[in-house]
Amino acid sequence: MSADISDLSLVRRVQRGDKGAFDALVLKYQHKLVKLVMRYVRNPAEAEDIAQEAFIKAYRALPQFRGDSAFYTWLYRIAINTAKNAVVSRDRSPIEYDLDRNNTDESYDMQGRMKDAETPEGLVLTDEIRSTVNAAIDALPEDLRTAIVLRELEGLSYEEIAAAMDCPVGTVRSRIFRAREAIDRRLREVFEGGLGRVEELG
Amino acid sequence: MNEELDSQLSAMFDDELPAAECELLARRLSRDEQLKARWGRYAVIGATIRAERGVRLNAGLARRVSAAISSEPVLAAEPAPQPKKQWARSWWQPVASAAAVAGVAAVSILWMRSQSPEVTTEIAQTAPRAVAPLTASATAATNAVTGEPDSYVVPKNTARRLVVPSTELANYVVAHSEFSSPVTRRNLLSAFMASESGTAAPSAGSEEPTEDVQDDDAKNPQ
Repeated sequence: MSADISDLSLVRRVQRGDKGAFDALVLKYQHKLVKLVMRYVRNPAEAEDIAQEAFIKAYRALPQFRGDSAFYTWLYRIAINTAKNAVVSRDRSPIEYDLDRNNTDESYDMQGRMKDAETPEGLVLTDEIRSTVNAAIDALPEDLRTAIVLRELEGLSYEEIAAAMDCPVGTVRSRIFRAREAIDRRLREVFEGGLGRVEELG
Repeated sequence: MNEELDSQLSAMFDDELPAAECELLARRLSRDEQLKARWGRYAVIGATIRAERGVRLNAGLARRVSAAISSEPVLAAEPAPQPKKQWARSWWQPVASAAAVAGVAAVSILWMRSQSPEVTTEIAQTAPRAVAPLTASATAATNAVTGEPDSYVVPKNTARRLVVPSTELANYVVAHSEFSSPVTRRNLLSAFMASESGTAAPSAGSEEPTEDVQDDDAKNPQ
């Protein structure tokens, strides 16, 4: 199986004018991208802003993307450059609340954002979602759990997982799908149960 | 939701779906919001397993990006691979330059030829005559082609191709004139005169008529 084929099919659609296909790429890579950007900025809100900017830059540059490298590799470079530029421009601009102590509203806001970066609730997946997913994984049969963990945590291909689990590739595909379905079923219950603060899933 | 479709979606998420199926599913994914939401949840599951802390699911990042993209112009129907164009330009430009230079050179040569037709005819005439002393048959053939009389005509500029410098030849003739027979001396002097007149040709101009040795012999018989 050629790598990146699904991304490439989505990219080609975007290049032909299908903006909806770009949503799928954003949904797939937003978590990775925010995590990547957070190597450069510690504030999650700022990291999301930078990730958003990187996605928009990627969209605009997509006509030049030829598929020589994987889409995520290409997106990765854009995000890194955007993050570096953001850090440079931020360092050039002095933080105002340090200079102007009379401006209490602004300094409170900045301190609040800095504080938010150190608060787990502001940084991570909501506890409820995380605990739901973890509980669902724990409840999975051993073969399903192994398959999904090898795929998501270790990043193994289906062929590698098949070799590791000594089963056909088709079985691996089925196991991973069933594992996801089981977790997703629990996850949907959480969202439909009124997790108001979760505005979207991706 | 169709289980087979969900299974395909899961495989596509992992880049494990055949290309043909990917194309079809990508089309559906871009339009089906329910399928897109499931796709997004698959990403959440992966992020949770990898413990990607720092990701806030309620941040609305995907929605903000989607809103920003909606105000962007739709991309061109066909992608324009810029690097490929640059590559094409990089090999095309030298070729075009070389072709232009070659064209100018060819036009210049043709123009020069058209401006001095005697050079062409002179070359055409002298080339066969240069080998004339060697083979009589070749001379005959050449004359048959050119239609000229069977006579030895020394062109003005053929001396340029002589190997022996005319001054040395003259000195040689003068030095050995006492010991040579009249016929030999005459032949050498004729050759000397011919070479001298050929050497002087460039300065005199190419339009100067050629000297007919046969006629000269007729005027000065020995």
